[in-house]
Amino acid sequence: MNRRNREAMFFNLFRVCALIVVLALVVILGYVLINGIGKWSIDFFTQDPRPNVHGALVEGGILGPLVGTIYLMLLVMVIAIPVGVLGSVFLQEYFGGTRIGRIWWMVVNNLAGVPSIVWGLLGVALLVYYLNFGLSLIAAAVTLSLLVLPLIMVATKEAVEAVPSSLREASIALGATKWQTVRHHILPYSTSGILTGIILSISRAGGETAPILLTGVAVNASIPGALGDQFQALPYYIYLMTQTTDRTQAYAMAYGASLVLIALIVGLNLVAIIMRNRYREKYRW
Amino acid sequence: MPIIEIKDLNVHFGENHALKNVTMSLDKNQITAIIGPSGCGKSTYIRCINRMNDLIPGCKVEGEIVVDGSNIYAKDVDPVDIRKKIGMVFQKPNPFPKSIFENVAYAPKIHGLVQKDGKSKKATKNELEETVEWSLRRAALWEEVKDRLGKSAYTLSGGQQQRLCIARALAIKPEIILFDEPCSALDPIATAKIEDLLIDLKKDYTVVIVTHNMQQAARVSDKTAYFYIGELIEYGITEQIFEKPTKELTEKYITGRMG
Ligand SMILES: Nc1ncnc2c1ncn2[C@@H]1O[C@H](COP(=O)(O)OP(=O)(O)O)[C@@H](O)[C@H]1O
Ligand SMILES: [Mg+2]
Repeated sequence: MNRRNREAMFFNLFRVCALIVVLALVVILGYVLINGIGKWSIDFFTQDPRPNVHGALVEGGILGPLVGTIYLMLLVMVIAIPVGVLGSVFLQEYFGGTRIGRIWWMVVNNLAGVPSIVWGLLGVALLVYYLNFGLSLIAAAVTLSLLVLPLIMVATKEAVEAVPSSLREASIALGATKWQTVRHHILPYSTSGILTGIILSISRAGGETAPILLTGVAVNASIPGALGDQFQALPYYIYLMTQTTDRTQAYAMAYGASLVLIALIVGLNLVAIIMRNRYREKYRW
Repeated sequence: MPIIEIKDLNVHFGENHALKNVTMSLDKNQITAIIGPSGCGKSTYIRCINRMNDLIPGCKVEGEIVVDGSNIYAKDVDPVDIRKKIGMVFQKPNPFPKSIFENVAYAPKIHGLVQKDGKSKKATKNELEETVEWSLRRAALWEEVKDRLGKSAYTLSGGQQQRLCIARALAIKPEIILFDEPCSALDPIATAKIEDLLIDLKKDYTVVIVTHNMQQAARVSDKTAYFYIGELIEYGITEQIFEKPTKELTEKYITGRMG
């Protein structure tokens, strides 16, 4: 085979791979859409799950799980964003380039790979029982925050590293302190990158099942009124639906709920894209 | 009259001994040029004067630098206070990705304005505008940008950006301004403008400029220091250094047989 042919062959191979990726995505999303959209109705969004005659929760809607998931996402935002972003910037600006800094980042990178069930175990052992949070919204939210913290930290680190050091020097040379330099320059200039990490993390938190299963989600819990209450959540609801014997109705509900979860995540990403473009326009170098 | 006195300055980057026993004093309201081949320690030297090397992990500075009678490397000195009084302009123009106005206003905004009694207070909007105009005029940029202060600094040409960086440094009302190869990224016309500006600034400021361009050193400076592999080889009146250098190393360098 000559060089031209070989190149053509590899090029076609790449083309096939790209096609597989695109097809897989279209098939999955299309399948969920076709099967789920039929369930969407006012009732679906405004009613709690109700049992049918056999006691399976396939009637009603998904109000409780939807609200629970939104609460979880909001709490994770409140907990994980400040801790993750500031922690990362602190490590980068104060320990960057030192041995302690390198060891710490190695730990963070490894934490990003820890399976979610292990975080769940940690959450139930440490938060729920040892620290007496009980099975609760807050225990689940803290567990999910720990789970996504490495994601936010790594994304923040990369965004901060992308800010040219000449801008950092300019600020320091004008007599700004490190903290002023971070607040007035580094953070604003790296916002678009940090946002990407945040959205990824929140989406991940909203979709996780294992950690919340161990730390506070409950079948038919009412909408939580306090941090110590138990709650429902979309991924857990979907899981429950696949476990009932009444397949036809349950699967339809599961697809409807999955579509909601996907819509939430796509919506978050759209918000992120808009904010990112705005920041990129504002701070360009 | 010396404004900066450097005594036995030694700088190490880990194992690398980057500056060796440098002792020299720099005169007030004069331009001192630092020349020497690449890697000889010019940037390291100039960054010691406003304690920018403190930022580099593993950099160790020994010796004294006395500015206005006090040692800036004394234990109780906060480097941030030193940098508020000494301006610096870098090799590549590095304006903030903000408006022209915001660039110049940044330092007065965070430091406040120095009053007659030496204390500083928060600047009013009016005072900020005055300071920005004054600084831009002093940097010979006002006429070119006065109608577009709100535009991004990145809409300016390279030479204008560098003058903006000079204005930004002037806004802290420094006594000393350090320039690290300020023209190496600029074309000859922009370079000439900066050189004119340097000579004009000398009336009010003490200027230290690193340059690898020997004609530039000869054109603008009063005194010239020649560095070679971390050592101060020769230091004196610029004409003398260029016409009758006393050291063979200096002569080799300025006649272009090295470097
Ligand atoms: N950040 C740094 N870390 C380690 N070594 C450095 C650093 N900056 C400069 N050096 C070393 O110090 C010496 C002098 O460098 P520099 O002052 O940048 O030279 P010049 O500005 O004259 O070209 C060089 O040997 C260089 O490798
Ligand atoms: Mg240099």
